Amino acid sequence: MSLRVLNPNAEVLNKSAALHMNINAAKGLQDVLKTNLGPKGTIKMLVGGAGDIKLTKDGNTLLKEMQIQNPTAIMIARTAVAQDDISGDGTTSTVLFIGELMKQSERYIDEGMHPRVLVDGFEIAKRATLQFLEKFKTPVVMGEEPDKEILKMVARTTLRTKLYEALADQLTDIVVDAVLCIKKAEEGIDLFMVEIMHMRHKFDVDTRLVEGLVLDHGSRHPDMKRRAENCYILTCNVSLEYEKSEINAGFFYSNAEQREAMVSAERRQVDERVQKIIELKNKVCSGNENNFVIINQKGIDPPSLDLLARAGIIALRRAKRRNMERLVLACGGEAVNSVDDITPDCLGWAGLVYEHILGEEKYTFVENVKNPHSCTILIKGPNDHTIAQIKDAVRDGLRSVKNTIEDEAVVLGAGAFEVAARQFLMNEVKKTVQGRAQLGVEAFANALLVVPKTLAENSGLDTQDVIISLTGEHDRGNIVGLNQHTGEPIDPQMEGIFDNYSVKRQIVNSGPVIASQLLLVDEVIRAGRNMRKPS
Amino acid sequence: MKEIVTVQVGGFANFVGSHFWNFQDELLGLAEDPCADSVFKKQHLDMDVLYRTGETQQGILTYTPRLVSIDFQGSLGSMSSHGTLYNHEPTIPSDITTWTAGVSTHTAERHKKNLFLQSLYEEQDRTVDKSGPQGEYQDRDIVESLGKGVEFWTDFSKVHYHPQSLYELSGLWMDAREFDNYGIGRDALSHGLQGEEISERLRVFVEECDRVQGFQFMVDDSGGFSAVASELLENIADEYSNTPVLLYALRAPESYVNLGKRKQTILRSLHDAVSFSRLASYCHLVVPVGLPSLSTSRASSFFCIEDERPYHCSAVYAAALHSISLPFRMGSLVPTADLHYVSGAVDVGDVVRILSGQSRSNKVAILDMAMPAPSLTGKESGERLLNNLHPVTPEITEDVEDLQAVETMTIHGVLGPGGHPASASEVKDTIHAAYEHTSTRPKFCHLSAAHSPLPIPLPFPSIFKNVVGQRGELLENPTASPLLKGSLEVHSVPMAVRLRSSSAILPYLENRLGYLRRYGVDRGAPGAELVRSWGFGKDELEDFGEALSKMINELKPHSEVSSDSD
Repeated sequence: MSLRVLNPNAEVLNKSAALHMNINAAKGLQDVLKTNLGPKGTIKMLVGGAGDIKLTKDGNTLLKEMQIQNPTAIMIARTAVAQDDISGDGTTSTVLFIGELMKQSERYIDEGMHPRVLVDGFEIAKRATLQFLEKFKTPVVMGEEPDKEILKMVARTTLRTKLYEALADQLTDIVVDAVLCIKKAEEGIDLFMVEIMHMRHKFDVDTRLVEGLVLDHGSRHPDMKRRAENCYILTCNVSLEYEKSEINAGFFYSNAEQREAMVSAERRQVDERVQKIIELKNKVCSGNENNFVIINQKGIDPPSLDLLARAGIIALRRAKRRNMERLVLACGGEAVNSVDDITPDCLGWAGLVYEHILGEEKYTFVENVKNPHSCTILIKGPNDHTIAQIKDAVRDGLRSVKNTIEDEAVVLGAGAFEVAARQFLMNEVKKTVQGRAQLGVEAFANALLVVPKTLAENSGLDTQDVIISLTGEHDRGNIVGLNQHTGEPIDPQMEGIFDNYSVKRQIVNSGPVIASQLLLVDEVIRAGRNMRKPS
Repeated sequence: MKEIVTVQVGGFANFVGSHFWNFQDELLGLAEDPCADSVFKKQHLDMDVLYRTGETQQGILTYTPRLVSIDFQGSLGSMSSHGTLYNHEPTIPSDITTWTAGVSTHTAERHKKNLFLQSLYEEQDRTVDKSGPQGEYQDRDIVESLGKGVEFWTDFSKVHYHPQSLYELSGLWMDAREFDNYGIGRDALSHGLQGEEISERLRVFVEECDRVQGFQFMVDDSGGFSAVASELLENIADEYSNTPVLLYALRAPESYVNLGKRKQTILRSLHDAVSFSRLASYCHLVVPVGLPSLSTSRASSFFCIEDERPYHCSAVYAAALHSISLPFRMGSLVPTADLHYVSGAVDVGDVVRILSGQSRSNKVAILDMAMPAPSLTGKESGERLLNNLHPVTPEITEDVEDLQAVETMTIHGVLGPGGHPASASEVKDTIHAAYEHTSTRPKFCHLSAAHSPLPIPLPFPSIFKNVVGQRGELLENPTASPLLKGSLEVHSVPMAVRLRSSSAILPYLENRLGYLRRYGVDRGAPGAELVRSWGFGKDELEDFGEALSKMINELKPHSEVSSDSD
């Protein structure tokens, strides 16, 4: 073979060995992630070489933490990560599904079937399943006022797989309210408009939704107020510090006086800008008790802070870029890039602005705003790993609510969809397929069952019993899912267990694609390291 | 107050950084130590330029580097990414509060602390309860253990870092071999929020500053980390426009190892061209540092260095970076009368202006260093010192005559007649006199001088040849001992460093332009597909090429340029 000539160190695995390597890698990855799935799965605590702790139940995080070396496993992991990028959830399910497709195929291939035939069957089954999903999904009418209950059910279903029930339920309300806060009619939902802030302080149950904004810094002058009510908010991106003009200007002061003159001219410009702001403050605050707060994206140097403090203004510098947008959405007004023509119309409003100090960390709360379109989820917890885990869960929860609104549909959960789709494939689709591709459809159908099976296994139930009772119910025309506590069939609709439509669709879509690629591999060639070396 | 924010990106940069902060820590320690040499008592350096004051939630005051360091996940060895100061739960919690069903724990093998780190922690405990026993380890054992093996840059770090300082790129495990080009680095940041998280860390440090004088970047630009750095720099250029950025493009000798394959050569050449073009476009001054073989270079005449050990090479480069940074800290504290101790304060912006903004604009500077710098005794001592300055910037021409050259020089801790530390004004006079006599005088030279030498901390490699004495002086009758000297024998070293803007850098620029054209832009270039996969279109590459040739033309002697236009 030519490659041998080119690189004598290259290793070539033949067809059957290559296939088995792929299947084993897929199964291996499945085994690692299997125990995660569902509200009864185990959480993983990862302790690093320096004692750093990470808690996760998220397939995506776990995949990143594992130093995956096997090339097949890397391919699968990438698909799963893409799943997370696109839909925000379903990583574990994707890996399980791919693993199961490979496992089911192995049986047929060992009996001498050509992978091509299986792959043809997968393609038919995939198309049929996607069509079935369209019929099976529960449409949700969004309109002006989305049905909050259904949003909560979806969010709760996701969150309960990541956090214990009471906390999950508390966060459910928070994430749904957060998304509804930032949702504007006729516009896409930009989840970045929900700020996620954390404080290492108190307990997880102290996590709350702030209607307004929490900034991770405070004013930098001792004389500025730490708490103020009825505040005008000026959101700006204006440098209020003395800078040497252009760095590459290329001039050199010929003497000290010239230097002094340059410096004072620059200083004067900054002072003039500060003066404009103070004038505006005097205009809007004269004759009333209102306060004035500047939140600036650029720097504010001590002389400017002094001037502002003396005028009774609270000033924050170096705000996050995204907070410029968030502040305007929360408080109103507009973000200004120059103070030359600022008017009272540029100002936003907050009923309360106050500072909270934890050691060297300062937080500024901008609350009691009118009609906010941006908000903050303030996560609290006793230690960093708890905070990180809640943060991950909150992100997933937000995504699930957003998906629901955008999908305008949900899918019955607790394994109901998988069982229903499997029965549909076996009872309806398989008959219509000619020849041996039927077996591909069958393998696909059985692979779908990996979700309810794993749910049952993680709950300590007998998988055979569970599958038999579930398929039985479905054949009698009852759409049921699995009750994780008893193993009995339940109606997910009644229990309020719903999954995202887009997550399911993405799993059904991408799983077979990658499985087919892996099955059709003829040869694995790798130059350099020996791939069969135990890793 | 004019603060500097330091950013370290990538493996070798963090090695250099680790030594750099060890020097700072040593300076801070010596200033307080009653037994220390008196030159360290009055340093007249404002350490707040590099350090920040903070407070833990328990109300304990802290003093930590104003630093963001970025590296692979797992590159911190036995050090927690949260640092040690802010008391982040050191033990594994017994229960998990967020989950009621099963828990499975996966514990990675604990990185063993080496003797040096063990002794650090013991010392810390001893200061808490003063009755504790004396350290079990002798300093000599510690130096030996470090000499035997350093795997992570944290293995020899004696500095406390702020919990926001150390950022690990999650999902990128230590495998520099596969993280060897710009494209991979760019991919690594394209998913998720990591780029934003890094910028946020930086913002937190900048927010604290009353007036930032500049950013100091140390970047290992031999692989994917240069993409990580340029993403960050792009953001800085946007967010903190007008704040000068001084960038050291650092390379370990091992990054030059030639794999001999043509494909590899193309990949590396293109990486060098793209990486330089991108980094240079976002900063104000680039200083490439890192010779293919430091051990055989003239810069290490007084050392015995093993090129394959980053612990060694990074120590030398860190010493130079330390010296360059001294004038940035002389500013606010010193009344002009105190010229005895320090003189020649400049800030980052001044250095940028001096080197890049004079008669021609050239933003790539050459670093020369003399470690140790010879004493200023006898005739022509100034000339001797100048002759001892050797470049550590790769790919430059030596002995080029450039009438337009400009430079900034820092000399500190050199010994004068009688073995006493020379005062700053003595140093200035000697060097100015020396320049009067040389034929190849630069057009402009800014000189900064300081009284205090470079302190050698305990975790410093034993690389000094035996001609180097305890205070870094060159001994006339060295002992015949074959052993190399380390931190126990050499306590401080006088230093001289020079940043030079000269046409000697031309080969460095021309090589990169050549790589870009030959492998990326020309018709049928063998690497065209490769750079496209890194996300660069033909237009962008041509822009890079244009920027490079502009830099080159700027430095070419004027006669040539004018004949071109004719």
